[in-house]
Amino acid sequence: MAKPRPPVVKRSIYSWILGSNTKLQLVVLALIAVTVVARVIPLEMQKRIVNEAIRLREVDLLIRYCAIYLVSVVAASGLKYLITVLQVMISQRTLARMRKGLFAHIISLPLNFFRNTQPGLVVSSLISELTIPANFVGMAIAVPVINLLTLVAFAVYLFFLNPWLAALSLSIYPIVVLLVPLLQKRVNQANKKRVDATRTFSDMVQETISGIHEVHGNGAYDIENKKIGGIVDRLYRIRLRWDFFRASVKVSNNFFTSLGPFLVFILGGYLTIRGQLELGALVAFLSAQEKLYDPWKELIEFYQVYQDGDVTYRKTMRYFDSPLEHTLVPSDREPYQLDGHVEVKNLAFVTGDGIRLLDHISLELKPGQHLALVGFSGSGKSTLAQCVGQLYSYTDGQVLLGNAEVKELTKKDMAQNMGLISQTPFIFAGTIEENLLYACRAVRTKSDAASEGSDPSLEDMIQVLHQTGLFVDTLRFGLNAILDAERDSALVAQLVKVRQNFRQQFGETLSTYVEFFAEDRYLYHSSVAVNLLFGTSKRKEFSGPSLSENRNFIAFLEKAELKRPLMELGAELARQTVDILGNLPPEKVFFEQSPIAPEELDAFKMLAQQTRRQKLHELTPVERHQLLELALRFVPGRHKMVSFPNLLERLILEGRSLFKEHINGDFAGAFAFYDEKEYIFSQTIQNNIFFGKTKTTSPKAQDNIVQSIIQLLIEEDLLETIVGIGMQFQVGSKGDKLSGGQRQKLAIARAFLKSPRLLIMDEATSALDNNAQARIQNFLETRLKGKTTVIAVVHRLDIIKNFDKVAVMKAGKLIEMGGYDELMAQKGVLYGLIRGKK
Amino acid sequence: MDSSEEKNNSGATCEFQQNLEILRQIDFFAGLPMETLKVFAYLCERESFATGDHLYREDDDDGQAFYILSGQLCLSHETDGREVIIQNYDAGVFMGGLSLLGPMRRLFSLKAGQDSECLVLTREKFAKAIAQFPELIPKIFKSVVDSIRSWDQQLLFEMAEKGLSLEGAAGISAL
Repeated sequence: MAKPRPPVVKRSIYSWILGSNTKLQLVVLALIAVTVVARVIPLEMQKRIVNEAIRLREVDLLIRYCAIYLVSVVAASGLKYLITVLQVMISQRTLARMRKGLFAHIISLPLNFFRNTQPGLVVSSLISELTIPANFVGMAIAVPVINLLTLVAFAVYLFFLNPWLAALSLSIYPIVVLLVPLLQKRVNQANKKRVDATRTFSDMVQETISGIHEVHGNGAYDIENKKIGGIVDRLYRIRLRWDFFRASVKVSNNFFTSLGPFLVFILGGYLTIRGQLELGALVAFLSAQEKLYDPWKELIEFYQVYQDGDVTYRKTMRYFDSPLEHTLVPSDREPYQLDGHVEVKNLAFVTGDGIRLLDHISLELKPGQHLALVGFSGSGKSTLAQCVGQLYSYTDGQVLLGNAEVKELTKKDMAQNMGLISQTPFIFAGTIEENLLYACRAVRTKSDAASEGSDPSLEDMIQVLHQTGLFVDTLRFGLNAILDAERDSALVAQLVKVRQNFRQQFGETLSTYVEFFAEDRYLYHSSVAVNLLFGTSKRKEFSGPSLSENRNFIAFLEKAELKRPLMELGAELARQTVDILGNLPPEKVFFEQSPIAPEELDAFKMLAQQTRRQKLHELTPVERHQLLELALRFVPGRHKMVSFPNLLERLILEGRSLFKEHINGDFAGAFAFYDEKEYIFSQTIQNNIFFGKTKTTSPKAQDNIVQSIIQLLIEEDLLETIVGIGMQFQVGSKGDKLSGGQRQKLAIARAFLKSPRLLIMDEATSALDNNAQARIQNFLETRLKGKTTVIAVVHRLDIIKNFDKVAVMKAGKLIEMGGYDELMAQKGVLYGLIRGKK
Repeated sequence: MDSSEEKNNSGATCEFQQNLEILRQIDFFAGLPMETLKVFAYLCERESFATGDHLYREDDDDGQAFYILSGQLCLSHETDGREVIIQNYDAGVFMGGLSLLGPMRRLFSLKAGQDSECLVLTREKFAKAIAQFPELIPKIFKSVVDSIRSWDQQLLFEMAEKGLSLEGAAGISAL
């Protein structure tokens, strides 16, 4: 494992200060030198103004000195600003580098590491922890140098003016340095006690309140009051002490700082009266005294930052300082292309704490052979598969893939030759297509990316969708897409044709599942807005959320006597939804039947509360608009948390015809009413084909519907187009918009698309229904046998009949291996397992 | 399909309230606080089944629990290619609670004996919701343990009454 550079976790915090920041740091140093000079000049000018200009009454001199004073003050501030900017730049650059470096290191750590590491810890390390050391790195040169130099320059200048006075006025600082930390220590002690006592206090209150039944039942108020009284008194004393010390720190700091001018006055005044010190020098002293405080403070703060930064950095880096088990990419060659020959010799795997998970395992698979690993739970099936797949580094014995020792191969070699489908596959945020291509894109070498490294073709992708049974799911996503009027104009015409065919062929049979758009009926599966408008507008003010802000529309609602009843409905919806979903996380499963989106929940929580306290007309216009907006989204067939009054339904239906009159008067042409001959761009493809909406979410009904649509799409040669659209479906964070089965199918498709030499399936079909499972099994048997070596960890024993070999494991050992029929004839362990299962 | 959605029972309680009333009466959910029951009541969906429709078949892992609102469901098992009816269930019965708790392939088939309407809760929804209230998991365990025990106990009584041998029949709660 030759590494050109030490891993990021081995770097010391100091190595970041220079490194690639050297140039910037040098610029900072140069700026500092100039700044310090610019800071001393005003002192000298003050002296000269008093001594020369004022005393000799020379206006010319006054103006000259003042000008120099002004220039140096402006220069000092400007330079300080520049230094700060550079400092921030250095610290942000460092932060970015630390984050990238540490993240790259963390994700290459062995899987074992993550068994004991929570994702939250990685997140907080990368996001918050690293900012502290990076902040230090930014300050590391600039802050100490500028402040120390300023202090030294001031001191030298003052000594030069008058050594005695200088010594006296600087003598305060050592006292402060000694006294303040002493007091601070007492503050910290008191604070620790305060925190402890507060915790005890809160525990006791919590206990009393949780046990309030018992307190009431026994009338034990006095006992509880006495208990709490004791701790409250203790807390009172501790807090008093804490506040006292805190105040002492502040006061003594102030006191000593104000003592400075006093000392200057008493000695400096005396010397000036005696003529041993010029008045100008006295002024310079006073002014310097004041200016000494800031650099002093900054130095002390810097020390704190240094301590924090150093400790946090070490802690963070040490935590992740774990050796990599494998090199990621071969440095001196292209990744190997291995054949699918697998040989396991005397393999053992012992965990760090000495537990022997695998022992004495030997087996051999010729390229294209299929092996089923079965056995009791905890028998080591998955561990064996993962050792072959290099996810775990075996401790003894050998695993050879195409005659190469798996342990010695790089991660890239493995990825190039192996496909892996884990038990709980992970799907990343992005589209279906991006997830399909994930494995293919990962193995792309740099030369590939430049030359022929293109993604698999659409046909290839559609083929794996078929093979894994994900085709129909993807089609369904496509059918739920909303088309763009400009981009998809050609497609739209074809879809209107599909709509006509649909009505003719399936209108009758599917009418139980579909609510067709009809001008004279209320649509229970469409929103109130759709029911009122029964059409769409290209104009922004008549679509989406802006509708409820549209004055014209509001005027119409008032005319139709709908405004107030709708606001009432909105208020009820808000209250009920917030009541049910108020404390739930923003997951799809909770919000798919909610009129309120997760990100709006907080706003509606407040609003729901307002509607309990105030009458509708007392709410602010913004709040009333929110309620109206919510009511317009209400779909009775989906939002079951409120009842939908008959009266309101009739009013809305009447409103529909009223709206048509209303809009044709003032905004003729602005609206396209639903028309069976026109495509509706605000609706999904499926709703357009139906010219209506589905009433049910039942999977069986969905299946029936999709099967009919497939037939129609094939007739119009649109099937692949719609699937292509479906592949752009965003699967959500961690794929949470997909079902468990869909996620698993996508993971299988992702591995199939790569067509690896070795395919490892770790209970890869466990979340699939029987049909889907059979489909994949069939594909393995008919298409992959003889081509791709398969190692499958299998839980369901009814699918192993056609594997070339079956290996039965128990307690980390291989206890039986052979063909299925052979093992069944032996009437050994497999026979027993199968009989137990059936 | 779903006729209840067609009606608009104005003034009546909404579907969510009705679901909540039902869940409160089901032992499986007994002891759960109102806040949690509301989430389950919200997540339940109503589904209709025509006579002969299968709700699930043997070997399916459908992960659903049903409360029969109306109609009748029929539980059966296929033995040597012959369908044996185990039992019929009428409106008011809750079944399938166990399959909410973890993956389980069905040993039986369930189909609609008459046109039926059920309240359906899926394992995916149940799991996501109960994960929000981890402190309630012991209560769910308890109600499952209770129901297994009383099932066994009832079997003991019935067998004794009929004078049948207990050998190999009872003892599930001792597993």
